Formats: sequence, structure tokens, C-alpha cells
Amino acid sequence: MFRIYMRLGLRNLLLYPMRTGLTVLGLAIGIAALTFLSAMNDGWLQNMKVNFVLTQMGHVQVHAKGFEASRRIGDYMHDTSEVDKALQNMPHIQAWTHRIRVSGLASAAGANASVLVSGIESDNEKKVSRLYDFVQQGKWLQEGDKRGVLLGDVLADRLSVGLGDKVVLMAASPAGDIASEVFRVRGLIHSGVMDVDNLLALVPISMAQHWLGLGEGVTDVVIRADAFTSVDGIVNNLKQILDSKRLDSKQFEVLRWQEIDPMAEQWTIFAGVYTWIVLLVVIIVVLAEVLNTMLMSMYDRVREFGLMAALGTGQKQLFAMVVCETLVLVAMGGVLGFVLGAAASLYFGAYGLDLSQYATAFSFMYMSPIVYPELTFNGCARILIAAMLGAVLAGLYPAWKASRLNPAAAMREV
Amino acid sequence: MSDDMLLQATDVCKYYHSGDSDMAALDHVDFQLKKGDFTVLSGRSGSGKTTLLNMIGLLDTPDVGSLDIAGEDVLALSAAKRADFRLQRIGFVFQAYNLIRVLSARENVAYVLQLRGMAKKERLDIADHWLSEVGLKGLEHRRPDQLSGGQQQRVAVARALASQPVLVLADEPTANLDSQHGESLMNLMRDLNERCGMTFLIASHDPVAMAAAKQCVHMEDGNIVSSDIV
Repeated sequence: MFRIYMRLGLRNLLLYPMRTGLTVLGLAIGIAALTFLSAMNDGWLQNMKVNFVLTQMGHVQVHAKGFEASRRIGDYMHDTSEVDKALQNMPHIQAWTHRIRVSGLASAAGANASVLVSGIESDNEKKVSRLYDFVQQGKWLQEGDKRGVLLGDVLADRLSVGLGDKVVLMAASPAGDIASEVFRVRGLIHSGVMDVDNLLALVPISMAQHWLGLGEGVTDVVIRADAFTSVDGIVNNLKQILDSKRLDSKQFEVLRWQEIDPMAEQWTIFAGVYTWIVLLVVIIVVLAEVLNTMLMSMYDRVREFGLMAALGTGQKQLFAMVVCETLVLVAMGGVLGFVLGAAASLYFGAYGLDLSQYATAFSFMYMSPIVYPELTFNGCARILIAAMLGAVLAGLYPAWKASRLNPAAAMREV
Repeated sequence: MSDDMLLQATDVCKYYHSGDSDMAALDHVDFQLKKGDFTVLSGRSGSGKTTLLNMIGLLDTPDVGSLDIAGEDVLALSAAKRADFRLQRIGFVFQAYNLIRVLSARENVAYVLQLRGMAKKERLDIADHWLSEVGLKGLEHRRPDQLSGGQQQRVAVARALASQPVLVLADEPTANLDSQHGESLMNLMRDLNERCGMTFLIASHDPVAMAAAKQCVHMEDGNIVSSDIV
């Protein structure tokens, strides 16, 4: 029976080409806009996640137990050999590096500023983060250059220092003593991310270990995965291995990128809510466009529904018939709109949508001003399912009305 | 009810509300129909012909009375079972707007068979057979708006007969036809009644219809006032 319902639906819609055409056009424009908006949202979110992870955070970090909460240098890892060994043969890992992270004070030529000192392994760091790409002036830290430092460009401005100038960095050692060291500026970094440009000072890890008296110890093992989808597997795998060596619960914490920065988590949640809002708008657009058309169609055909009922078409069959007609209508507009929206998303996904005139302020939230809409399978499925749900909802009332008609009374209608 | 009795309506009343008063469209009507009958219900407009036909066709429900069709107390059936009863047992020919406008003649005839769950080839073969029987061979693929009023009524007759119902109800089938087409349609139905043994109940005040009847039942003001074997 489904085929006859669909055939009847299609032919009834084609009986009024103008009315159907206008509804289909309205639907198509709405669905196209929402498909593009959804792809923009997914692209923006993906871009933010990638920027967030690759700027410096990594997909996964391993710390000494409690370090992320306390940020105290005293909570450092004395020995990461078990972690390194576990990572060596683990799948889906692109690279990893060690860091020392400590808050401190920078001083130069009478100016002082708060600073986030990051001791890095210069070669491994290039494989894990994009900090290397952000060097705007000067050069990246070289092996053997113990006193080199790279500063965020805003931080350098505050300290009034440039390439080759001296900077004194001060931080508390694990013992609680204030330790200071002199470094020379080798390069300036500009990432667009406030935390990096305003606070970051990169120094060689060996110098940081010596300066702060950490021996071979580090605060972070930063891991870059081959994809976001691999993160959970890596974390579970790593926890399992460390647990089996009775190390995890006592010595280490293994954190996903979302757990490291609450803002990233909040943005992910917000993006999820935004997605639901888009879907709600899809349903409302479909309802508004289709309900009126279907009601007009239903009232136009009261006699016909009466005839069908008289011939033995059951209430459920009449109900299904009207819902099918609604689905046919929405399928026409929905598919057309989806194709248009998908085409626009793919085009801008390839060439980018430059919002730099409007969106530079977003860079502190790890957002690039050039947006690349991303048409994901989930995004497409969500839009299409929402459109069909809207269609079913829009069809319910006319379908209910049609199925409840008294055949004799309906056939008296002119 | 005897074996050759197809329909028995007893003490059937139907009231319509008009302002503060109730108007009896059917006033304690007793009516019987035997298998193979070709009966015409005659009477002026408003006499209750269509109302009685609607009750018998299960398109409407009487306020009082009982109705047995083919040995079944049809008033006790649920709405869904009534729809199924109509589908399985009754064929309809209405005065106008008889066909589903977006379906071809063939599809209109096959529609009822499809509702019954018949396979595509079988139902289309049957549809073609009955369209040929009513003289519409070659017009199977035309839609209602491509057929004359007389041809549309013939399609409706073909549809009513295609499902081999026990009872065919026709409400003013000749009302929108000229006399030539009206006579031709009545002759066709009478011929099918003779050849196939189907029972026909036709509401009409058209003399052509009455001339074709085996039995004429005359109604006035919601009552049956006479019943004559012709």
C-alpha cells in the first residue's frame, strides 16, 4: 500500500504546481540555509578543537597525580620511562613530547610581567604542536642553545624586549625557593591565542630542569593522536597499561584535551546545544511551510477522502496516506535544499569563508577567522531526520482530520 | 433471515437536528432485499432515499433500528470493521465526483482490489476486464478529467463490480448524464445483474432507472410508501 500512498501523494501535489512549487521553494531555501549553518557550526567547532589541541595542548596529557588541579611544580613526574615505553608501541599516536610547565615572573629593563614558562624539547615539540609555525620573528630554539627563550609577542612588548635582549625568568622550585635564570630572546611568537601571546615563554627543557632543580623530572607528557576519534582509545589503553604496572592511580593522571581546559569542554557543550537549536529551527521551518499547504490540500479534497473512506479505505490508511503526502512534499523541498546547502558547504569547505573583517576577536577562543564549513555524515543525517520529523509532525493534524471524516458528510461537501 | 435474503433493515430511524427540533430523515423504516434483486428506491428530493442508502452502505449510522447484511449485524461493527465490510462486501456508484482524480481509469478500478491486498498483475487484469465489460476498452489510462461524465460513471460501475461485492449501491447514478447515456448505464447495470447475479440497490427518481428496475420502492418523507415488483 505504501507505493500507492506515495503515488497518490506525488500526483496530488503535482495537481497544484504553483502551490506545491512555492512550498518546495520555501522549504528548499530554509533547509539549504540550515544545512550550511550546521556545516559552518561543525567546521567552526572542528577548527576550534584542532587549534586548541595543536596550539600547545595536545590530544592527551599525562601528569603526576593532582598536577592539573594544583599546578604546583612540586607535583612533577620524577620518572616517565614507563609512560614513554607504553607510548612507543601504542597505535594511533602521531608523536609525543615532554614539558615542564610553571608560572613565574619575567623581568627585563625594569619591566615585570607574569609569565607561563614552558620547558620544551625543541625537536619533539615541532611534531606535537604548532608553536613552531607561530614564530614570527627570530628562530625556533636550537639544540644546545641553553639560554635561548621564545616569548609571546605581547609579553615581549610589555617587557619592552626584542631579539637578542636579556630576560630574567623567576619561578618557585619544588622546594619553595625562588629560582631565577637569565635568558636571551631568540624569537617572538604570535598565535592569536591570548594565553600564548600574552604569557608564554619557551625555554629548553634541559635548562628548565637544571634551573628548577627537577633532575630528569617533567610536569607534562603531551601526546598528539592521529585523530580526535582515537583519543578515548589512547587514554583507556594508557590507563590500562599504567594500571597493570600499578602506576596510574598512585603516580599519574591521564587527561583528555577536554579535561585539560574547561573552556574547551564548555565550547563543545555549547556547540552541541547550538546543533539542537538548528534542528529545532529546521523542524519549525518545515512545520510552518508544510502545515498550511497540507491543510489547504486536505480541505480541498474532503470529498475525495470521503469517497476513499466509502470505498473501504480504513482510518489508519487515510492517516498514513496524508502523512506520506507530507513526506513526499518535504522530501522534494528537503532534498533540493539539502543539495543546495551541501554544495555551498562543500564549496566554502574547499575555499574557506573569510570572516577576518568580523571575527578576529574570536582568535582568543582558538577560532580561525577563515571558516571552512564541514559537511559531516552526522550533520547531514541530523538535518534530514529533523526535516522528516518536521514533515511527520506537520502531517499529523491534517492526517488526523482526514481519517476522522464521516464518509456520508464528507461526500456531501462541494 | 431466510437464505435468499441479503438485507434486512428493521425500524430504522435517522434524525437531523434543525434549530430546536429534530427532523426525521428516516422514520421507522422496514426494508428487505433479496439476493439478485435489482431494486430502485424512488421518491422526491428529501424523501430519504440517499439517507437509507447511506445507512445500508454503512456510510452513516441510524439513530434507532437494526440492520443485517449477509447475516451480519453490521451496526455492531467498529468503525474499522465497517470500513472492511464496505471494502469486502459493498460496491458503490455515486452521483458525481465518483473517481479519484489523480488515478487513471484502470488505477481507479484497481484501487479497491489493492486495498484488499490483491497482487498487481491480478488486479490490473481484473480492472482491464471490467473496463472492457463496461465498454471502456482502450481508455484504461485516461484520468477522470479526460473522460466524459458517462464514461466516468462507467468506470465507477466497473470499480463497484470488480471486487465482486454482494451488494452494489448506486446513488442517483444517472443524475449527471443525458438521457441516452443514462439509459445506456442502466441497461449496463441491469445486464450485469442478469449475467453476474449481483444485487443492485439504486436510489433514483429518474424514469429511466425506474424502467430498468425489477422492484420499485417509493419513499416519501422518510417512509416507504409502496413497494412494487415490476
